[in-house]
Amino acid sequence: MQLFHDVANQIKCQPLIDWKALNRPVVGYTCSQVPAEIFHAAGILPIRMRGIETDGMDIGDAYYGPFICSFPKCLLQLVGKGAYKFIDGAVITPGCDAMRRLDECWRKAGEDYDGIIPGFFYYFDVPHKAEGHGMEWFVEEIEYLIAEIEDYFKVTITDENLRAAILEYNKGRRLLSEIESMRTSETPVVSGSDMFAATIAGTVMPRAQYNEELTQWMASLSQSPPMENVRKRIMLIGSITDDPDLIRLIETDTDAMVVAENLCFGVRSEGRPVDEDADPISALAEHYLGESTCPRMYGRYKQRLAVLKEKIEQSHVDGVIMQNIRFCDLHGAENALFEKDLEAEGIPCLRLEREYGPMIDKGRLKLRINAFLERLGRGRKYASSN
Amino acid sequence: MSIVAGCDVGSLTSKAVIMKHNKIIGSFILRSKPRPRDSADAAVKGALDAAGLALEDITYCIGTGYGRDRMAFADHSVSEISCHGKGAKWLLPSARTVIDIGGQDCKAMKLDSDGQVERFNANDKCASGTGRFLEVMANVLGMDINELGPLSRKARSPITLASTCTVWAQADVIKYLNSGTPIEDIGAGVNTAMAKRVAILANTVKPEGDVLMTGGVAKNMGVVATLEKLLGLRIKKARRADPQMAGAIGAAVMAYEEITSRVLEN
Ligand code: SF4
Repeated sequence: MQLFHDVANQIKCQPLIDWKALNRPVVGYTCSQVPAEIFHAAGILPIRMRGIETDGMDIGDAYYGPFICSFPKCLLQLVGKGAYKFIDGAVITPGCDAMRRLDECWRKAGEDYDGIIPGFFYYFDVPHKAEGHGMEWFVEEIEYLIAEIEDYFKVTITDENLRAAILEYNKGRRLLSEIESMRTSETPVVSGSDMFAATIAGTVMPRAQYNEELTQWMASLSQSPPMENVRKRIMLIGSITDDPDLIRLIETDTDAMVVAENLCFGVRSEGRPVDEDADPISALAEHYLGESTCPRMYGRYKQRLAVLKEKIEQSHVDGVIMQNIRFCDLHGAENALFEKDLEAEGIPCLRLEREYGPMIDKGRLKLRINAFLERLGRGRKYASSN
Repeated sequence: MSIVAGCDVGSLTSKAVIMKHNKIIGSFILRSKPRPRDSADAAVKGALDAAGLALEDITYCIGTGYGRDRMAFADHSVSEISCHGKGAKWLLPSARTVIDIGGQDCKAMKLDSDGQVERFNANDKCASGTGRFLEVMANVLGMDINELGPLSRKARSPITLASTCTVWAQADVIKYLNSGTPIEDIGAGVNTAMAKRVAILANTVKPEGDVLMTGGVAKNMGVVATLEKLLGLRIKKARRADPQMAGAIGAAVMAYEEITSRVLEN
């Protein structure tokens, strides 16, 4: 478990250093809709790019300007500072417009800062619709991506090694969903922040090592006693979050636990396996685009609401905390709709706007979270004293 | 019978109340010191002195405000949002909507019939719509913040502040002062800018029922009157105690509820 926290809390983590020491390539990608299996199949380590450890915004602000989500700005800041110079390739996607602009801003910054554009710099288009033609387009995009990787890294990605990659990734997915059920159960044995650190680690670590660690962790969890003092069961949803500190803020010094989440770094897409019997590219396309769990996907609001309701019921959630990064229209707008629809069904919701990055908003967020938890505590007494 | 205390350490002022049988027997308010712990100690000491009691006489104490986790003597801490709800209910039992304007934040709350907060919203990272806005403007005008309310009543043609940003508004106010605009018209403009900002926040919780204002700004009649106009509602006055004490009162009421329920349980 400690390894998961170490990996989740720093960009240059040990598994990455070990991988690079063997002279093996690493490619960074920016969105949960990029099929990591493709890189794995090519012997490349795919890592999800994160903006943690940002300690300024001079570069991010210079290319992006002030009125935009702070997540891609943090990424650009780190890129400009050379924090990602170890990657051999980068794959940018139009997760939202702010993320799409990372492509242009990064290229432009590359004119001013030496060596920040990796040799393989690829724009991977992801359609906003999963219906018929959208899916066909996505399959084509995956094929283009494979061809480009083969060409640049001088590798061959066959159906066989794609299938093997799917099996390896699914192994991790199954382990994660088993552990997830230990968290959502009525007597959880794993905290929300530990679970989140473990899912983040999965976006960075070499898969075989990750699966090994998960297996060990699961074995130790099955011996663990249920967590004490979990009286308020919270679900966390909304804008990109890759920092277990946000979950820790909810769980520390309270009797609350994040028993469920719907976050793009979380278990939402890791929780279900890719079809192992179908044609691998179509199976990957179906997995990464078909579920439409992200509000960037058009016309699927009802489906996303249904996913939330199902999770709320399964995990016995008492309240939902919905956060969005300032200027994130996608989650900001969808959270407002979720709040209206969930509150109408008697599910208490808290909507928070925050900045991405080092937890500068801590005091402000904590006040709102505590007040919300007190609201959920209605009917109970206020204090078990300190 | 047990004596309880509530202590609210805010960014600008700190308050404490001592209660016995759900009645206030001592209270104290002071300008917050740099360290929350010192503010809390001084506030509780002041309230205890006013009640003629010592710290040992307190059975249970709840702390609230931004310094709520730094109070050595508090048995428990509760967020100021919940405390203001409870305090408002104590100040005006029929209150269903509360607008609290504190030193650095502004909150709007909807209460259920027990004074529990059902819904709330608070300002984000901006000083406009907070006590600090008024304080900065009063400073520029060279007067005490308490004079702003009465002053704006004398206004004939209040100015309009182009920006509600505290920093820009300050520049505007200086410009008006330099061009000889009567100070009461500027004061009224300042109050209106504040009220507009608060009205936007208050409307997000859909105010209904009896509306009460708490926090220091509740004493500024200029802001209250404009807010009433903007919201199309009457705002009730807290007569039972100083509305600025609402957070500390709420904390003490919760402390009282806690010990009474313990007695009932045993
Ligand atoms: S948080 Fe919102 S605006 Fe920011 S990158 Fe994600 S979708 Fe885009």
